[in-house]
Order: sequence, then structure tokens, then C-alpha cells
Amino acid sequence: MKIIKQALPALFLAASACVSGCAQVAPWERGNLAKPHMALDPHPLQSAFRAHSYGSREAASGSGSAEGGGCGCY
Amino acid sequence: MAVIKLKSSKPRRKQQKPSSPISTSLHALTAAALSLPGLMPASANAADEEASFQYGHYQEGKRDLAGVNSRFDPIEVNTIQGNAKIKLSDRIKFAFNYIQDTWSGATPVATAPLSFGGNKEGGIIAGATPFLQNNTVFFDRQLNPLKQDPSTGQFTKDPQLVHTLSTASPETRKQGDFKLGYEWDEAALDVGGGISSERDYESRFGSLAGRWDFNQKLTSLNLGLSYTNSDTDATLDHDATPYIYDTSAGLRAYNSTSTNSQIELEGGNKILSGNRQDWATTLGLTQVLNKNAVIETGVGYTRSTGYLANPYKAVETAFINPDQTGDVLSGFAIGLLEKRPDERDQLTANMRYVQYIEGLDAAVHFDYRFFHDDWGINAHTFEADWSQPLGNGWTVTPRVRYYSQDAADFYQPYMISQQAYSRTAVDANGNRISLNADAPNNGLEYVYDPDTGNYVDQNGGRIHETQFNPIPKTVYFDPNKLPAHYSSDQRLSGYGALSGGITVSKQFAKGVTLEAGAEYYTHAGSLKLGGGGEGDYADFDFYMVNAALKVDLSALAPTGGDEHAHHHGHHGGHAPAGVMFDHMLSKSGDFMVGYRYMYGTQAGDMLHGSSEISDQVIVNNGCEGNPCFLAPSGMNMHMHMIDLMYAPTDWLNLMLMPQFVDMDMSMRKLDGAPPPATDTERELITHHTLHESATGGIGDTGLYAMIKLFDRPNHHLHATLGLSAPTGDVGIKLRDTHRIEAGFIHYGMQLGSGTWDFKPSITYTGQMDQWSWGAQLSGTKRLEDKNESGFAFGDIFQSTAWGSYNLLHWLSASVRGVYTVQGSVRGEYIEPFNPLGPMDYPSSHGGRYWDIGLGLNAVVPSGSLAGNRLGVEWLQPVDDDVNGYQLPRDGALSATWSYAF
Repeated sequence: MKIIKQALPALFLAASACVSGCAQVAPWERGNLAKPHMALDPHPLQSAFRAHSYGSREAASGSGSAEGGGCGCY
Repeated sequence: MAVIKLKSSKPRRKQQKPSSPISTSLHALTAAALSLPGLMPASANAADEEASFQYGHYQEGKRDLAGVNSRFDPIEVNTIQGNAKIKLSDRIKFAFNYIQDTWSGATPVATAPLSFGGNKEGGIIAGATPFLQNNTVFFDRQLNPLKQDPSTGQFTKDPQLVHTLSTASPETRKQGDFKLGYEWDEAALDVGGGISSERDYESRFGSLAGRWDFNQKLTSLNLGLSYTNSDTDATLDHDATPYIYDTSAGLRAYNSTSTNSQIELEGGNKILSGNRQDWATTLGLTQVLNKNAVIETGVGYTRSTGYLANPYKAVETAFINPDQTGDVLSGFAIGLLEKRPDERDQLTANMRYVQYIEGLDAAVHFDYRFFHDDWGINAHTFEADWSQPLGNGWTVTPRVRYYSQDAADFYQPYMISQQAYSRTAVDANGNRISLNADAPNNGLEYVYDPDTGNYVDQNGGRIHETQFNPIPKTVYFDPNKLPAHYSSDQRLSGYGALSGGITVSKQFAKGVTLEAGAEYYTHAGSLKLGGGGEGDYADFDFYMVNAALKVDLSALAPTGGDEHAHHHGHHGGHAPAGVMFDHMLSKSGDFMVGYRYMYGTQAGDMLHGSSEISDQVIVNNGCEGNPCFLAPSGMNMHMHMIDLMYAPTDWLNLMLMPQFVDMDMSMRKLDGAPPPATDTERELITHHTLHESATGGIGDTGLYAMIKLFDRPNHHLHATLGLSAPTGDVGIKLRDTHRIEAGFIHYGMQLGSGTWDFKPSITYTGQMDQWSWGAQLSGTKRLEDKNESGFAFGDIFQSTAWGSYNLLHWLSASVRGVYTVQGSVRGEYIEPFNPLGPMDYPSSHGGRYWDIGLGLNAVVPSGSLAGNRLGVEWLQPVDDDVNGYQLPRDGALSATWSYAF
């Protein structure tokens, strides 16, 4: 809980700072941002497979969203 | 995860426009551009409409067992995944996802000092099933483990730890999930849900996610909530059950592993059942920093409650009686099921940054994630990649990842409890307490009176030892003296992990992308951030590879009347879904991608030829003169195939068909079967009747050339020459059980033929008005006498003919007849193999079969998905005439999707 209390204000601080301070990028200037390899996750299928493998071998598994995944008991 | 997507052509065109001084038109342009649903970084999908398939393989390296050479193969996992996203309307999206994993191989079940002998049988044979109990072990006064020299009896300190490995027969997990989303101009809402099912675990989940864009879509806020409810119903391993205390075994019941779990005896199996629930919330913010950089930050909180332990992990525990004198303490070691808290609160904070590198046209991704939970684990994940387009649609992405975690508070590789494992019960005066051996559980106790030589019962009555059958009452250890929670699962230890990999993708014209990746991962205690990780006995590594095919359906969608005509043009209706190689692409340069699912099921009374027979007949004749104990009671086969077809010329089509299969088979004991002659047989029979067998993974891969022979408007004839490459595993063995080498699984449960096979066919199709019809002759000829496991399946010949009628302009119905003949298995398994029933003998394979098929075919007539074809067919067996003794077939289902462009 302590961490959430620290992280939340930081997140909103960053957000509000940016809303006023970040460069305004017009829609037609977003060509680079739109390139497939500029996606936040360019390979979602592969990421899911990798995340499942990591999740079966690491304690800090789970991205916090419900995606099933099974027991991973092995 | 969020992905940036612009309708690529539009904005670029706008970029080239000289910026207009007229602000009204600028605003109009802005508004128009912003109304594009895909414009925002947080848009959830790479393409609005997409079909994708992925195969993944996970392979762990051999564990270091400190000189013990395990004959178990390390664990491996084969994963297939299919995914489809479509738009139901301009604003409503639907995504469906299917995943299937099959795994087999050895993993650690516990950890102990090497001197405990967890992997050794009698100190000689290495790496059999785990030895978790009944070991007398030795320690010095400082509780260091001691090793005893077998010849001299001398003790020396030996702190070396080692995992005890246990292996599993193949098992398959299947998961289906969906997401339904609605998009507003500046917001989106997704509702999702799914189910994941495997033999011992079932998980159901639902989620709700919202996105809100503001600040000209430069900023978006993401909120997510999800709930997962999972049931464990784990059949505890025969070999491992000794570590679970059980009154029927004459030991103290010790079966409360957690308040939310319970072990029950069901039909000879010990079942551990438990339920867990997970609630998760996430809050994230995506921000475009400038025209070349995006950042995403987020926090998440997950609360898990219920049975959170792993039913297959034990904690090796040495009980040392503190009353001992001398320098060498002897103890008694057993395994206890691990015990974890029933609650876990988890927090994550993550940051992801993407920077465009001008000049190189590259993108760099940096990720950092922090994890904290109330089990005492803090973890850090760093990841970076460099995504470099190389031209011609090629992109190469090397990446590196580092992970480090602390150990959980209750993690310990093994436990020492300073109390006797058991002792003889005495009363306050030190007089021994006895029970009546004839009724030990009736609650009556008898105290020995040394003065009279008599026993005294609870009421003070005197009983002479000749009047009952006294045995000393044994008191076992006090579980309250153990820690409240304990686990030696490596995943809860302190360690670091470093991995690196590369992803290569190639985008072809027309929206088809192929992607392949490989990654190597190494786990080591010494890699832990800040040091203090687990010893190097626990180090291991793995690699994973994956290959994916993505088809962007929206990019393929026909745009003009010409295309439209093309998709409806070829050869009228397709053949029923169960017929393969039924049509050719009409123009050179055309592609087709397709997916084919086939399901077959067998159940019922055993057949010999076409007649149902009694168990006694099978016992007498079913096993080629050998004793016959078992018969199959049911079998299911699922096959997923990907069809990739290309027309280099208009008279030749090339096809590649990778396939993935999974199967399960259940067994029953034959009435009147003879008693097993050997321990091996007895144990295996028990094992087979208690457990369903399952296998799964890559099947054989087909390569085909289709050649046009005759083509008139209403009549078409083509030949197909095919080769099936033996990519499916034919060396699958049952897991060793009860310390017995179980050997190969049944012939029909292997994933492929193991031989190179020639697969020719000839196909005729015709059409007139609303009617279409066709016929096909096909065969499978094994090109080798035997595979690496010693056998070859029989050759196959099949003939089929069908007719179909267009019910609607987009829907047709079909009727089909099929006759199939397949030879019996040639050769037989090399050792080790333990045949127990007709399914294990070559002569009880193949036969002659008649089927009737009823099918429906549909083609999407218009809209963005126009030209997508779907087919389904049920094959109903009419007559089975089997070789030897076999289960009858119950039917087969085929379902297909294909798209030509």
C-alpha cells in the first residue's frame, strides 16, 4: 500500500506536468509514432508467450489483468 | 497492451501537405484525423481485423544434480495460439483467442542435502522417481548435514544441496477467451472473459477495461479490473504420496496443507482440492511526449486469496530428536506438502518508454517493472530492445532482459525440526500407553502398570495383556512446532535471471506478416541484485522459440468490384470441410491462408471386425497370445492445421500444412483378465486405469503440389502430390511410475507417423446452377518400413464423393460418403515397452470404414470480411470393420476457415 501511495501522486504529477508541458504533436506529425515498431508492444503474440514462460518460472508473475494462464505448477 | 496505430496512408499524405495558414481547415483536418479510431497510441490492436497463429516451444536445460546423472528429460512445453479480431460494426470489436500448451518432462519436486539421497535408489541407480521419505539422515551439533562413508562409516560435513526431480507424463492445457469492445471518439470500453482448463486446474476469468483519451489524444488513461476464480483438483502422485500423511498407512493424518485445501481419497486417487480467487486492478497513463517518443506508466494491485500453494511441491524436513547425545545427531527425513499463506497482496509499478531514432528509422523500447508483495518478495525487471527495419518489410529486433527477486519470507530449501519424528506414548509417570491392535482406532487406551504387570483402562479397570492384543501407542511430531508457512519452490527463492533474444519479422504484401523469435534465459542465484541469492545447485537455463503468422484482414479486404468477382469466382462452392486439397487457386500470384480443425472421438464396446465382443474374448485372443489386461474406454483426438497455399503459376499450387495434435485416452480393466504376472504389470495396470493418458504437440508437416489437369467452366480435375515430413514425435513414453520404467505410450497416442509418407490424391469437382459435386481418391504410402521407435503405421486409401446445394447465395449444404481402408501397424516398438491390451499390439490397428458426412459451407458475401470462407462437417460412422480388437468410432468433426487473396 505504501508503494501505491507513493506511485499514484507521481503518476498524476507526471501526467499533469505533461498535459501542460509536453510538446503538442499535431495528428499529421504522428507518422513516426504510428509505425508498427513504435508500438508499445510491437509483438503482442510473442509477448504473451514470453510472459507465460516467465510467469511459470518467476514469482513476480501476472500483469495484474485477468488473462488466465493455468496452474503453472510444473 | 496498447499499441499505436495510424491508418498509415492518410496521415502520411497529410504530412506531405504544406501546412495551411488557414486555421479553419487545420481544425477540420485535426478533427477528421482524430476521429480515426486507430489514431490513438492506446488503441488496443495492431490491426482492426486480424487473424494470427503462433507456435511456441519452451525447452529447459538439464539440471545439475551434483554428480547424479538423471535419465529424465528436462521439461519442455509446446504452445499453439490462434487469435482472431473482427469488427462487428464501426465501433464494436470482437476478439477471440485460443491457446493450448502441452508439457512433459522433469522438474524439481523438493530440495535436500545431497546426503539425503533424493535422486538415488540404493545409492546406485540414478534419477528414478523421487525419494522423499524414510531416510535416516545425519547432522553435526551445528545442524550441518553429514555424509557417511559407506565403507568406513566415517562422517564428514557436506553442505551440498540438490533438487529432487520428478517427472510428469504429457499434459495439455486449453484456454479460450474473448474480448468485446466498444469505441467512442475519445474513449473505449472492453469486456472480456475466458476459461483455462487442464486436468488438475480450472480457471475462469473476467475483465473490464476502460480507456479515456484527452489532450488531443496525446494522453490516455487506462483503467482495468479483473477477477479470476481457480479450482485445483490435483491428483497426488503415487510416488509422492508417501510424503502426505495418511492414517490408513498407519501414520498420523497430516493432510491439512492449508485451511482452504483438502485431500480426499477418490477412486483410489488422492485428490487435493482448493480454490483461489484473484482480484486485480490497474491504472495506467500513456503520454505522447513528442513526435518521436511515447511513455506509458502504470500501477497495479492484485489480491489473491485461497489455496495459493503448489500441490506438487514438497518441503524435505528432517526431524532431529533434541535428546540425543554425542557429536552426530541422527534424524528422520520426510517430505511435507508445502504450506503457503492464504492471502497475498501484490503491487506493481511499471514504466515503458519508446523512442524513435531518426535517420535509422529504428525504435528503442525500455521497460522497467517493480513488484512487491507481502510475502517478502521485491522484484525488478528491466528490458530493452532495438527494433530495426531493414527494408523490404524485414524488421530485426534484438533484446535483453534482466530480472531479480528476493526470496519469500517462508522460503527455505529444506527444513529441520528439532523434535522426534515419532515416539512411544507414555503417561505422566512415564508408563507406556498401549492400544488394542485389533481395534486401534476405537479411542480406548491402556496404561501399563509395571507393579502388577497389568494394563489400566480409562475407567481404572485392570486388564491383563492376555485379554487383548496390546501394541505401543505411537505419537508423531507436533505440526505446531513447524513454521506457520514453508515452501522450497525455487520460484520463491532469491535469484536473478538474464536473457537475450532476437525477433525477426517479415511483412509481405497484402497484409501477411511472418514473425520468428528465439530467446535464451539463464537463472542463477549469483545474478540476484545485491547478492545473497540461492546457491548454484538451483541454477538452470532454458530457451524458447516461436513462429507466428499474422494476416491483416482489413488490409486484404476487397476494395473494387473486380476483387469481389474474383473471390466468388473460383469453382463454385468449396467441397465439404472434411475434404482436403479440394480446390486450386485460380490465378498465378494468389495466396490462401486457412485454418483447419479436426476432432475425432472413439468410445463404446470393443469391436472385433464389425462385431461387438465380450471382455472374455479379448482376454483370450486380443493380445497376440500374450496376457491381456486392459482395453481403451475412450479416446479423443484434436488436430489444428494451418493451410498456406500459393499459386506460382495458374496450373500449379504449392501448399504447406503444419499441424498440431493433442490426444487423450482412458483405459479400463478387462473383466476376467488374468492376475498380473509381474509387479511392473500390476503397477502399470493400476496407473492406466486411474489416470487418463494425454499427449500433444507438433504433428507431421505436409508439403503438397497441386497440378491442374482439366479445367472447364463446369468441370475441374486436379492431382495433388504430397510429402508428409515426420516432424511429429513418435518417441513419447509414459512417465515412470512406482519406480518402474513404463516405456512407450500406445501407438495411437504418438503425435505423428515417424516415417516420410507419400500422399497423392486426385480430385474432380463440378457445378451446375445451384448444385455442385465432386469426388476424390487419396492415399498415404509410408516410404519407410519403420520409424525411429521401431514401427510404421499402415498405408491408407480413401475414396469419397459428395454433392452440395446452395441454400442461400452465401450458404450451401452438403452430403458426402466416405470409404477408408487402413493397414495394420508394421513392426513394433523397440524396448522399453509394456503391452497391456490390444491397443498395444500392431495387429489391432487399421480397418475398413464407411462414413456419411453432413456439412455446411458459408462465404461472407460483403463487408470488410467479404471472401472469408467457413465450413463445418460432421462425419457419422456407418460401419466399422476393424483389424484385431478396437474401439468403435463415434464420429469426427471438421471445421475450416480460409481466405484467398
